[in-house]
Amino acid sequence: MTHDHHHPRPASTLELRARALEALLAERGLVSTDAIDAVVALYEHDVGPQNGATVVARAWVDERYRERLLSAANEAIGELGFGGAEGDNMVVVANTPAVHNMIVCTLCSCYPWPVLGLPPTWYKSPPYRARAVAEPRAVLREFGLELGDEVEIRVWDSSAEVRYLVLPMRPADTEAWSEKELAAVVTRDCMIGTAVPTAREQAIA
Amino acid sequence: MKMCVGLQLCSPGVDGVHDMGGMHGFGRVVEPGSELPYHERWEPRIFAIQILVGLEGLGAGPGGRTVREEMDPADYLAASYYERWLYSAEQRLLRKGTIATGELERVMERLEGGDTVPVHRDAAMAERILADLRSVYPMDPPPPEVRFDRGDRVRVTRMHPAGHTRCPRYVRGANGVVESIRGADRLPDRAVYGEQVAPEPVYCVAFRSQDLWGPSEETPWTVLLDLWDSYLESA
Repeated sequence: MTHDHHHPRPASTLELRARALEALLAERGLVSTDAIDAVVALYEHDVGPQNGATVVARAWVDERYRERLLSAANEAIGELGFGGAEGDNMVVVANTPAVHNMIVCTLCSCYPWPVLGLPPTWYKSPPYRARAVAEPRAVLREFGLELGDEVEIRVWDSSAEVRYLVLPMRPADTEAWSEKELAAVVTRDCMIGTAVPTAREQAIA
Repeated sequence: MKMCVGLQLCSPGVDGVHDMGGMHGFGRVVEPGSELPYHERWEPRIFAIQILVGLEGLGAGPGGRTVREEMDPADYLAASYYERWLYSAEQRLLRKGTIATGELERVMERLEGGDTVPVHRDAAMAERILADLRSVYPMDPPPPEVRFDRGDRVRVTRMHPAGHTRCPRYVRGANGVVESIRGADRLPDRAVYGEQVAPEPVYCVAFRSQDLWGPSEETPWTVLLDLWDSYLESA
């Protein structure tokens, strides 16, 4: 590492260094190209917020599933075929008209990979890690979310091995919707707690 | 109880700049492009390599997260997220002796001279890492006897640890209420350095915003953290 504090290395140098590390390990047979490809593909195609949205939609249409999800999340998420690294101790927290939940990791970037995939850049960057616990309403306002003073905001800092998922409230006027249609309005940010799902978004999606 | 094996590379672990809760001056959360998990193709590849370094036993030291926390604070802040992962992968490989100082720079020169990254096929390794990423390793259940019950008032111990900890500065000394008992887990402050420690209870503790930050312009809120027994005392 260089110690040039005021001039971070340009991206091209970083890319070169990253490629060199892969080259060094591959030519010695220590790391396989297909293993790297497999991990990249896993989180680009198989594991992402679509998994969490499936879980949320099921909880919206199946009250008994919702109860299992809130009391034993690992097992309930596992029922739908999801689970794995960074989802070893899942806890699902439900929004209500009186409570709004949001998740953060102030120390690092802990995030429930099996249901949300890899975190967005903002989640692991200093502004969110610094501010989510200290001024949550100001942060939510940046995301365009204004909550009334009657709503208690509960900020979950993922300081240990528990990983959190927010179960948002089902939007109004969606009684006739299928589970698949419901899942389509559950965005990643809804399950982090920096957004809430609305029925309107379905027309866009 | 830090163990920095055979290296001049190990900077002292500290109450580092990674512990960001409550810091001012970082600016806006939502910026163009910040909704993406990464922006360059090398970034997810380094993510994968860092996981493989651990899984295949190629690295030494206390694990990627702790190594990233040992970065020079100014470097940590200047670095992009996956630059820190690149740093930790490289450091762990150096500490184990899997790669030697200067080797990476020589390969960089070769690549700049037109060499390509070689392909190494090992389908079994791909299967191993996928199996591991799909496995779940839950905490132990809490022991029958625990110090605190749901509803108990607790205070976070004042501390200033010289290494990895999961007790953020902003809760130290603050009072909260035990909301639930999550399970039992080995104290990371010691376990990440290879110490054999017994699992201890981990409690979910709820803090009122006033008790953490004093008065605020915002309507009071609640902050909840999962804290190991060693971090807590009766209040």
